[in-house]
Amino acid sequence: MVGSTNTAREVLNVKGLTKKFGGLVAVDDLDINVKEGQICALIGPNGSGKTTVLNLITGVYKNDRGVVDFAGQHVQNLPPHTICWKGIARTFQNIRILSSQTVFQNALLGKGYGNGGVSILQTALNTKKYREATAACTEEVDRILEFVGLLDLKNEYARNLPYGKQRILEIARALITGPKLLLLDEPAAGLNSQEIHALMELIKRISERGISILLIEHRMEIVGKLADWVFVLNHGAKIAEGTFDKVKEDPAVIQAYLGRGGR
Amino acid sequence: MVKLFKWLKKYALLIVMLLLLAAPSVTSQYEFYVVQRGVQNAIHVLGLLILIGYSGMLSLGSAALLATGAYTYGILLVKVGLNPWVGAALAVALTTFIGTGLALPAFRLAGPFLVVTTVGFGEIVRILILNMEPITGGAYGLAGFAKLLPSTRWVYYLMVAALFLIAIAVKRIGESRLGLALKSLREDEVAAEVMGVDVRRAKMVSFALSAMLAGLSGVFLANLTGYLSPDSFTAAESASYLLMVVMGGMQSVTGAIVSSIVITSLPEVLRFLSSSRLLVYSLVLLVYLRLNWVRTGKGSLAGLMKTLGFPLGTGRAKDRS
Ligand SMILES: Nc1ncnc2c1ncn2[C@@H]1O[C@H](COP(=O)(O)OP(=O)(O)OP(=O)(O)O)[C@@H](O)[C@H]1O
Ligand SMILES: [Mg+2]
Repeated sequence: MVGSTNTAREVLNVKGLTKKFGGLVAVDDLDINVKEGQICALIGPNGSGKTTVLNLITGVYKNDRGVVDFAGQHVQNLPPHTICWKGIARTFQNIRILSSQTVFQNALLGKGYGNGGVSILQTALNTKKYREATAACTEEVDRILEFVGLLDLKNEYARNLPYGKQRILEIARALITGPKLLLLDEPAAGLNSQEIHALMELIKRISERGISILLIEHRMEIVGKLADWVFVLNHGAKIAEGTFDKVKEDPAVIQAYLGRGGR
Repeated sequence: MVKLFKWLKKYALLIVMLLLLAAPSVTSQYEFYVVQRGVQNAIHVLGLLILIGYSGMLSLGSAALLATGAYTYGILLVKVGLNPWVGAALAVALTTFIGTGLALPAFRLAGPFLVVTTVGFGEIVRILILNMEPITGGAYGLAGFAKLLPSTRWVYYLMVAALFLIAIAVKRIGESRLGLALKSLREDEVAAEVMGVDVRRAKMVSFALSAMLAGLSGVFLANLTGYLSPDSFTAAESASYLLMVVMGGMQSVTGAIVSSIVITSLPEVLRFLSSSRLLVYSLVLLVYLRLNWVRTGKGSLAGLMKTLGFPLGTGRAKDRS
């Protein structure tokens, strides 16, 4: 896997990315590269700027400096929905599902705004075109829900799902947008070991579908098992990158983690 | 019992419509007028249901859009001499246009800030109407325009038919993906935009649809009263429309229609209270919210608080991780 990625095309190319919050430099001149089909990990101590990087890539925050290229196009500072349409999907560190909607509806939100080219008038009149578009959409959502194993909970309210399943639902919602690149912000946080095992299987299966993945993760055993390539952040700056085995021996990395109380 | 309840729920809209169709035959002339106003308000309130109930954008300036529709209709007929149907179409179009413009502040403002902006808009429109006397009749009001149909009764039937179609349309929109996108604005705007919801467009559509219905309702108002005065379009009026949405259950189409008609007739029922009416309104609202709160655990109060932009608990709205 690692060997083959050398020749693969770049999906995400971040150069010189910088973001300041007042006096705090949250992301500092960061370069990141994700190649097609890779699973990359972004690690670093608490507050090192990992989530901010995702917010910058997905357009939730505007960056101060730098370039984000996705599949050969500049995407930095575009509105978030445009970036989503181009093929970048994400999940959130603190789950952000619509708790008053059903599992199905939550997943459906991944289809974005509108009724798939069907006008409001057609919707109101319940025309054949609208019904067909809706049926196609329903089928697609069902297929993804089956893929992640939530199909039997389809009509349950999202707030009633156990925490682990809510995380999976967020991944399903992201997959429905049809991404080329999936950004996962600590997907294993709060899961038990059984759920973590299932999650890792799911991430591998997503990767097998040809979707590149950038994963933020604190648990080193997950990073070690999944990641082809690892970026290490500290105080917003990249202090190391490479394979997990190489990075974990890096003195700067050890220092960064030890300096915060040895994670 | 449960079965009966389910049956009622399924056919609620139809039953309400049939009752409305029967209303002219079973009510006195005065009661009929109140029902007419109720139906006219319901059209407006279904628009607010989209804006407030679905999309969570609280507007207290809706009376101004109602005024825009009503006055445009009146002015086009009286001063320009247009045919009532052409006047009505133009009035709805202009109101939709202006109402869509109100979405612009909503791009950046939410919660209490948006409320204040819409109140401001409402006052501006009312003051403009008061001061542009040559066109609007100012404080004297505007009268002398024709109806869409010759008899009041036929206007009423037209209104009920419109209400029925609008109710079905609003319901379908609510159940569609577009409706889901609107509801996602209310629940979590950040998640929505990252999932590909064009937030600005969704907000504009929401404002446009609600303004369109406010304009239509305004045209019917002009038809019913035959006389327009700026006093009918105060902020207090906007507040009572909000009350109608909330009491109707925020997202229920049939609920909004019933609550519109009930609340419209409330002042007549509570006539003996005269000026303390608003006090009673507020009490009714509070009791309702309280009951709903007890019933659902959190329910509408939490929903309303969220709509008003008061962070509940940790203030997750601003957290973007
Ligand atoms: N909206 C914001 N305004 C001000 N400061 C912010 C904002 N978002 C993040 N920060 C700051 O930027 C720094 C990086 O935060 P970030 O959330 O990206 O870290 P992280 O690596 O994701 O941490 P964790 O592992 O705890 O999730 C922190 O010091 C944080 O306080
Ligand atoms: Mg984080």
